[in-house]
Amino acid sequence: MNTDIQLTDWREQALQFEQQINQTVIGLQPAVRHIILSVFTRGHVLLEGNVGVGKTTLLRAVAQGLGGDYQRIEGTIDLMPADLIYYTYLNDQGRPCVDPGPLLKHGDTLATFFFNEINRARPQVHALLLRAMTERSINAFNRDYALPHIQVFADRNRVEKEETFELPAAAKDRFMMEINIDMPGSDTVLDELMFNPRFHDTDQLIRGVANSGIYYRLNELAQTVQQRSQTSPKLHAYALSLWKATHRPQQYGVQLSDVEMPQLLMAGASPRGMSYLIRAAKTRAWLEHRDHVLPEDLQALFPVCMTHRLFLNPMYAYRKEQLLPELVEGILNQVAAP
Amino acid sequence: MRIVLLLVLSLLGCSCSGSIDEPVSYFNVETPRPFGYVNGDEIPQRIVIETRSGISLQPGSLPGKGQINRWLNLNRVTIKQSGQRYQIDLLYQVFYAPLEVKSLTLPGFTMQLSQGEKSISQNVPAWTFTLSPLRELVVRQSEQGEYMRPDSPPPLLTDTQALYGLAASLSVAVLIAAYLGYLYGCYPNMLRRTLFKQALRKLAGLSKADMERALTIVHHALNSLNGQPLFSNRLDDFYRRNPQYLQVSSQLAWFFNYSNRYFFSDGMIAVAQDLQQLKDLCEQCRKIERGSR
Repeated sequence: MNTDIQLTDWREQALQFEQQINQTVIGLQPAVRHIILSVFTRGHVLLEGNVGVGKTTLLRAVAQGLGGDYQRIEGTIDLMPADLIYYTYLNDQGRPCVDPGPLLKHGDTLATFFFNEINRARPQVHALLLRAMTERSINAFNRDYALPHIQVFADRNRVEKEETFELPAAAKDRFMMEINIDMPGSDTVLDELMFNPRFHDTDQLIRGVANSGIYYRLNELAQTVQQRSQTSPKLHAYALSLWKATHRPQQYGVQLSDVEMPQLLMAGASPRGMSYLIRAAKTRAWLEHRDHVLPEDLQALFPVCMTHRLFLNPMYAYRKEQLLPELVEGILNQVAAP
Repeated sequence: MRIVLLLVLSLLGCSCSGSIDEPVSYFNVETPRPFGYVNGDEIPQRIVIETRSGISLQPGSLPGKGQINRWLNLNRVTIKQSGQRYQIDLLYQVFYAPLEVKSLTLPGFTMQLSQGEKSISQNVPAWTFTLSPLRELVVRQSEQGEYMRPDSPPPLLTDTQALYGLAASLSVAVLIAAYLGYLYGCYPNMLRRTLFKQALRKLAGLSKADMERALTIVHHALNSLNGQPLFSNRLDDFYRRNPQYLQVSSQLAWFFNYSNRYFFSDGMIAVAQDLQQLKDLCEQCRKIERGSR
């Protein structure tokens, strides 16, 4: 009973937090909802979008609102894994010194790690991140460092492809969600963004977000939410059908134009991907004041959790911007529950 | 006794001289019947000849393919040789239109056989046969009206049974094709207008213990109507495409809410009233699909 009250309190806080972010970064409600879900599910997030649509601002606002130690790094082509772990310099006395880098600076209290322009970094750096993201630990100076609270936010812009490194499938799979940030559609929001001086100074805008200080209790909360949200056998069957449909969409009657369906996919969703989907769905059910997961929870999260995990055959890869959303939509439209 | 011995010796002498001295050990001309031919008929002639070893046939001495005389053609000449035995097949064709039965002769010729430098002849005798006219002058003179007439058409076999069989199998095939089309859902419009009729029929025998099945039946009907699975969060889109169902929107909302609770949360106990409500919803939808509401 006590836990139920606690969960209700937490829900209020989460919704308040969401509202606050929505006031700071306007016109991005669906993306904000997804980020809130990933924060309360403890999953890493990859943001993708055009230049200047507010990806970085959004992530900074979230980090500021959550509290916790925050580090950020900019992806560049000459960034090496060692740059994340330590840096060397000459001190006042002219003696060489080695100090911990961004990943280790805060030790095990590192909370939000923000990797800007992740696709500009080399694959070696992606490899280092793989372990930090999955196992929440890294090895440096001959010992393991645990990072129990780390949550990685990464962003990449969709416009430029030169001097970038496509994220390997393994690295993509470790992100719980890939969220597309599009330009706000409504004219009033655009007008506000253009003329309201509040949105001109980003630093000041971010400073306006109240630090809720809830960060270090999130792991425990996420665990409670996962235990409390129920899933029925019918929902299990539905999730299983969705999963199978990501491997053989043609068996579920999904048909895309100009596509030989059996040859479309090279790989469907991974078990890790599906487990992320179910975890996020449980958190969504909690935020929607329910103690059980509904198909609509899975449907709401399926595109953000699955699109970056489906890999098309090279033959169709050049059309992936068009085919992947259609495929995901087709799967959701064809799989019935119950 | 002496007479008998002389006779035996003379016979032996004859046969030996025949087989040893004669260059041709066997010769025969096989011809067909010598009568009953008409203009344009082909007449085969086979010559079989067996020679002693060392003696060979000169093929150039046989008549050449082509016209032999004004009314006779040699169409084909084939020679088959096996050892010292030759089989020569000649195929003649007659082009002669006699006005009454006429006796004609295939001309004879002489075949040449050679033994080293030496040449030996073998005569093939001429062969006589009779040729009949195609048109009879005598009859023509006595016949009235048209002389040349077409053949009478052949009588037809009775085919009524085959026709009955064909009609029967065609109608069976059409019936099967229609049923197959029904199974494959080729009549969506017809099916779409009986969706809730079928659902009602299936619901009729169910009790509250079969709530899961009852809900599934209604879901299935709604999914078929929508063309894809229908969920509560897509009802707006459904109403836009099927505005007539807006009349039952509150009942549909109840249905989806109830189904969600029944299937996806614990501790839901179905009561008879729920089933009745479900049937009522189906009745309303049936009226809408019939167009009476």
